[in-house]
Amino acid sequence: MNGTALAPHDDFAGSVQEKPSALRYIDWIWHVRGEVALPPRQSSEEAFDRLAPLFRQTGTSYNRYQNTLTFRKKDAAAQDKMSVFDSGVLQVENSVLRYDLISKALLYCFLAPLLFLAFAQATIAINDWKKPAAHAAGAAAKAKHKPADKKVVPPMNPIDKALGAHALDKSDGEDGDEDGPKSKKPTPTPAYVFAGIFAALYLVGRVLEDRLVKSLFRNSIVGA
Amino acid sequence: MDGVRVGKRIIGAEAPVTIGWENIPRVEGGPVKQFIFTWFQPTMLFAMLAFWYYAPNSIAKASTAIGIGIGFKVLLLALEWVNPRFASWRLTWKELATDLFYVGLGYTLIRMMGSFAGSGVMVKAVQDLMHWDKATWFIGLPLLVQAFLISFIFDFGQYWMHRGMHNWYPLWLPHSVHHYITQLNINKGAVGNPVELFLIGLGVGGFFDFLPRAALMAGAFGLAIGTYQHINVRFNSPKWWRFLFNTTEHHSLHHSQDFEATRSNYAGSYIFIDRMFGTCVDGEAELLGLENGRRMSIREQMTYPFTEGWKTMKEKYGRSAPAPLTEPAE
Repeated sequence: MNGTALAPHDDFAGSVQEKPSALRYIDWIWHVRGEVALPPRQSSEEAFDRLAPLFRQTGTSYNRYQNTLTFRKKDAAAQDKMSVFDSGVLQVENSVLRYDLISKALLYCFLAPLLFLAFAQATIAINDWKKPAAHAAGAAAKAKHKPADKKVVPPMNPIDKALGAHALDKSDGEDGDEDGPKSKKPTPTPAYVFAGIFAALYLVGRVLEDRLVKSLFRNSIVGA
Repeated sequence: MDGVRVGKRIIGAEAPVTIGWENIPRVEGGPVKQFIFTWFQPTMLFAMLAFWYYAPNSIAKASTAIGIGIGFKVLLLALEWVNPRFASWRLTWKELATDLFYVGLGYTLIRMMGSFAGSGVMVKAVQDLMHWDKATWFIGLPLLVQAFLISFIFDFGQYWMHRGMHNWYPLWLPHSVHHYITQLNINKGAVGNPVELFLIGLGVGGFFDFLPRAALMAGAFGLAIGTYQHINVRFNSPKWWRFLFNTTEHHSLHHSQDFEATRSNYAGSYIFIDRMFGTCVDGEAELLGLENGRRMSIREQMTYPFTEGWKTMKEKYGRSAPAPLTEPAE
């Protein structure tokens, strides 16, 4: 669906300056707000005309009414310059464009570390739950592996010997841990790492997307 | 669109694709850039193989392989900025965050699922029935041959699993989600429904972990060849490379908006498997993704196989709707 100008509609009702609420203190997590000064003598009509191509994108619908433009996006294309935003309001007042944009991507990225921390806890819980059975299996396997078996070194191909490859080490990964040989139980470490990655990614995205959309609006309005 | 005849098939009748190596653009720039982007792929492959061949046992470990894998992907991400194949595949913050979410799922949720019923469990069960001595003939082969055979057997299995996914509806449902990606970037291989990621992870590679060094070298084959399936970098891959190995060009055709083109190039690393079975098409595509490149949200990617499957079940087995009235009732 290409961008279309729609009649005023309740779904698009909104304003850059909304009523104060408790969410106002935390909604910076998923709201990006800002303002751009219009060039001298540029009307709101002209400013929105210049911004219009940004909203003529696949999956974007928008509505212009007086000095306000509201938009909504669904399944925005990856290369849509505003793909990170799902909806928003732009208003021109006193030669200043003010905008309030909503991004589910930023919100989910902010929450993603919690999801990965939950995965870490689930991994620990599953390992604890499986521990008695794995321990018994490990002890049995260790008993089965006679010490003499460990001394068997696999033969090395003459070509590898001539080329100077390292001697094979059968014991690599064989001993495992207390849960037995070749125990491959999942560890919570990757989940902690990804929690950290998403925390960093959120900070980068919150700053980067704020700056990118501001320069996008500024350049569009100026016509650069 | 007329499309191009490749064997008995017409490729590109539904969406634009480029067929034939002679029609694919080359790397633009000076001789140094040309040299780097011609020899980067073979150099990295041979460097990785040499590393695992000569590395002392103290560092020839899975943890080192994971570190190399992460470092290599960061390097390739940098190359995407330096020499992108298509500007329309540029990595954005949202694309990166989405891709990393799936990479994260692979390291956590999918691994948890695998610990219960994945190939690791099956492999362990079979290995317990085997004995070390029975594999002596294999261990006696040169390391490089062992490593190639391990990666070939794994890729051969992947080929048929992947081809099955494109030909059998129950397997297509979870795999279809991966075909909603609209551009290729370094972590796009991880994007898909978790059920598919679990299925594609099933393989026989784990059988060979009793040969640690050969298994690590086999992993190097996968990393230094298979990774280029999903990447936004233009390379002048040498002729022998693109004859033997899967490339971005091959895989972009597999992801194109042309239905017939998607039914080609199923292998992960070794495109000669496709050549063996007549499913290889040499070429590339820029416009990717099902439904004319509709970008699917993560939420829909998670539910799509189930909602689509339910719809199909209802259509097939559900109570048939009353026949529409053709004449107004009196």
